[in-house]
Amino acid sequence: MTHVKNGRPLGLRTMAGGVLAVVCHMFLLALVLGQVVYLASRNRTRWDLTSEKIWSLTESTQTLVDKLDKQLLVEAYFSPGEDLPVTMRQTRSVLDNFLDELVQLGNGRVVVQRFDPNSDKAISDRCTRLGVKPVDVRGSSATSISVDRHWQGLRIKYGGSKQKVLGQVAPSSSPQAELLITPAIKEVVTTEKYKFGFMEWPIQEAGQPQGIGWSKLRTVEDIARRFEFQNLKSEDAPLIPEEIETLFLFRPKELSDRQKYVIDQFVVRGGTLVVFADASEYRIGQQRAFSNVPVALDAATAETKFLDQLNSYGVDWQPKLLADMAPEAHRPRDILRQPFEYFAIQTATVFGNQARHVPYPYFFHAVATDWSKAADRFARNAEGEVDEAVAKRFRETHGSGIPSDAFMFTTFKNVGRGPGFYWPTWVGLRRKAGGVLDLPAGITGTVHLQTSPGVLVEDPPRMLNPVGFGDPRAQTQELRKFVAKLNERSQAEPRQQAPLMCEVRGKFASFFAGSERPKRPSEIAEAEARAAAAARAGDDTSDTGQGEGQENEEPVVGPPSPVTDAGGNEIPAAAPEAELVAQGERDGRIIMIGDSDFIRDDLVGGNYARLGGPYSTMGGAFFNNLLQWLAKDSDLVALQSRQLTTRTLQLVDDPAPGTDPRVVEEAVNAKTAALRGVNIVLPCLLLGAFGLMVFMIRRGQKKTFLESLS
Amino acid sequence: MLDTVVILRRELKSYFLSPIAYVFGMLMLGVLLFFASTSLQNNGPASMQQFFALLPLILVIFVPGLTMRLWAEEQKLGTIQLLMTFPVRTIHLVLGKFLAAVIFLAFVLLLTIGLPLTIGAYGKLDWPPVLGAYLATVMFAGSFVAVGMFWSSTTSDQIIALLLSLVSLALLYALGYPVLIDLMTGSGWVPAWFVDLVNGISPFKYFVSISRGVIDSRDIIYFTCFCGFFLYANALVLNNRRHTG
Repeated sequence: MTHVKNGRPLGLRTMAGGVLAVVCHMFLLALVLGQVVYLASRNRTRWDLTSEKIWSLTESTQTLVDKLDKQLLVEAYFSPGEDLPVTMRQTRSVLDNFLDELVQLGNGRVVVQRFDPNSDKAISDRCTRLGVKPVDVRGSSATSISVDRHWQGLRIKYGGSKQKVLGQVAPSSSPQAELLITPAIKEVVTTEKYKFGFMEWPIQEAGQPQGIGWSKLRTVEDIARRFEFQNLKSEDAPLIPEEIETLFLFRPKELSDRQKYVIDQFVVRGGTLVVFADASEYRIGQQRAFSNVPVALDAATAETKFLDQLNSYGVDWQPKLLADMAPEAHRPRDILRQPFEYFAIQTATVFGNQARHVPYPYFFHAVATDWSKAADRFARNAEGEVDEAVAKRFRETHGSGIPSDAFMFTTFKNVGRGPGFYWPTWVGLRRKAGGVLDLPAGITGTVHLQTSPGVLVEDPPRMLNPVGFGDPRAQTQELRKFVAKLNERSQAEPRQQAPLMCEVRGKFASFFAGSERPKRPSEIAEAEARAAAAARAGDDTSDTGQGEGQENEEPVVGPPSPVTDAGGNEIPAAAPEAELVAQGERDGRIIMIGDSDFIRDDLVGGNYARLGGPYSTMGGAFFNNLLQWLAKDSDLVALQSRQLTTRTLQLVDDPAPGTDPRVVEEAVNAKTAALRGVNIVLPCLLLGAFGLMVFMIRRGQKKTFLESLS
Repeated sequence: MLDTVVILRRELKSYFLSPIAYVFGMLMLGVLLFFASTSLQNNGPASMQQFFALLPLILVIFVPGLTMRLWAEEQKLGTIQLLMTFPVRTIHLVLGKFLAAVIFLAFVLLLTIGLPLTIGAYGKLDWPPVLGAYLATVMFAGSFVAVGMFWSSTTSDQIIALLLSLVSLALLYALGYPVLIDLMTGSGWVPAWFVDLVNGISPFKYFVSISRGVIDSRDIIYFTCFCGFFLYANALVLNNRRHTG
């Protein structure tokens, strides 16, 4: 091709000059645009479109950063990003993004300093001292073998005094980065731990000297570094120290009058009492046979009843067992991956033996739906017809399973359900006949969790064994009978929502007002010793001829002489105790939770998961949220309540129980093939049809045009 | 601006009146949906991840086919001389053709909406990120169209334009791929700063960022600059040609 200008061919030099000009222009433009992109990346604005805002920092981090009154220094010990292997490169990008966002949020209060330990021996030595750990990656080429050392650790310092080192941080996603780093920030900015007191009554199992208790959750690292727990269950039962604001009772039983008095004075003096109550103690035996061990709530020598005591504060604890018959209440949260949350049995499938969830209404959760909207369902009579009058009443009286707006329930409302309870009991507010609230003067009450209207209330049965001990077929039959029996009973029971967790607060009057305060064992021992000593002294005087009725003529001067026992040993005097407070002057608070099993060590530890459950998958989250709620520490709630919605395709409806798996598989295959076919063929056909239509119109226009010419 | 609209209308008309565009569209849709619809599985994730993971590769293959003729054909048929005599600035010509190609690709992409609708009908599909990902795809496709158009303007041979586009787009796509970057750094042949630089140039990296559901001003500015660079270069080449005859 010959280039011509003004009738003359262009020289090669002119053409080369043109190309050079284009190249120079492009180079300069690339430089300018490169700068623009660089500046844009320094000052970014981002919009997270995901419904759950999974790519953004939660309110927790925002709140923590807002509260900073000193500078938060984050020292990032990172080896250069371009040297990183591919697996770490992604995590570095996530970490860099997180730190950038943190600095932006901090608005000058958060400073990130980056150090490269590979560039300076002094820095790598400092890393070793601090506990930042490198990752050694072996690399090899045709001629050499090398070990590359990569660093990715953080030291978070606050106000120059507190620090936290994260030796290796490798988050795969932004939410994970926040879960790792935000609690660490929280730890360094927290000045002191919140103290809780507790008393627990572990279950003594054969061969286990300690018994199964509730220590696992208390010692979880995340909880232990923010809260302190003090065991206040003493043989001598002194009053609860004033620095303790909250006292936990884990499945109280065999309470002495003295223990009840201690609890009474604690709430009357303005403490918060949290009771994890159980009507009965069920043990999980061989083949998961659940047997009831009778538990006495009050000690044999006690003259008062704990139920009466709670009742006097406005709490109505009925030691009955609850079973929720609504399927949504006893279905596990993740039926596919965690069918053992409640009760599952091994079933032979085409994929081998698999755990399959089976309905067991004694294990259930509060459902965060408004049950008044399901009034018709619960207002059906024996013939299956809706009784309109009853339905109307249910619409007025029934409510959500999680009616509370307290922040500790945010997580559970997000997932649509409360934690799973195991053999729970009725813990509600005191009511008069007719269901009218009957709380003591000055006391207010709230129900936080409740069952569905399809609850069964009964005395704890001696044995609860839904599947028997036979082979799988016999077990299935046994289970059917078990559920059928429950259904039958459910028809006859009144429809009501049973309270599972309630709270009363206000200025409580002492249950022991007007009576003598129960003495501590040491006081009793001292009194007995004094009495014995006095008796001995009486004997001595009679021996020396000083008869009864003769007065001691010498006045007592100075402190009383120490009391000695028969062997002459001094009996220590019991420490003096504060007088009984009959009427509270500060607001106390009692929170009753109708189950203690769901946070028990064996259930949260998943000891029975391999057998098919039960396994409390949300007990830990509940306990953690409860602690934060009680400590009024809502900083991390948004972070911990971040729940991703399970998004799975449900191409066919759940098969009815007992359906042949091959039929189900065929139905799934047919539906999948049809949907795929439609999705591939239809768009292509639409485009083809559109083209054909355009072609026809064009042909018609052409024909008309040609006709008009002729 | 009006000139751009006139060119845009002319180009769009030529697309929709050409049977080749329909064959191109049907082929692209068929291949894309054939592979993407494998994500329709009972109890599988209700997301469009697989679809959007596949799209860049499909665009690498199909966009050069669409852009190869944009300038090369005009040059081969000599209509470019006529086009250059129009009282229109070169940049308006370039913009008109660019927008027409992007709108045509967006139209083809619109026909894939059946897949998210199906997923939404049988599962809880999170729609806002899906719409964000469609936006990212349009921007990503736009950046590829800009590159393809640039190569088309440099030659009168459509096959050469196709090959140049294919190679450069494949390279741009691959440069954003972490595994390849790791290979390049691990080999030691290429300096680390250069690998970092080319990784920052790849549109794929920014596409991944938006398609996960986060619209970042940095990514939008990047795509605007990237398209702007190649469109301006395109106009420069055409202007140079106009001046050199």
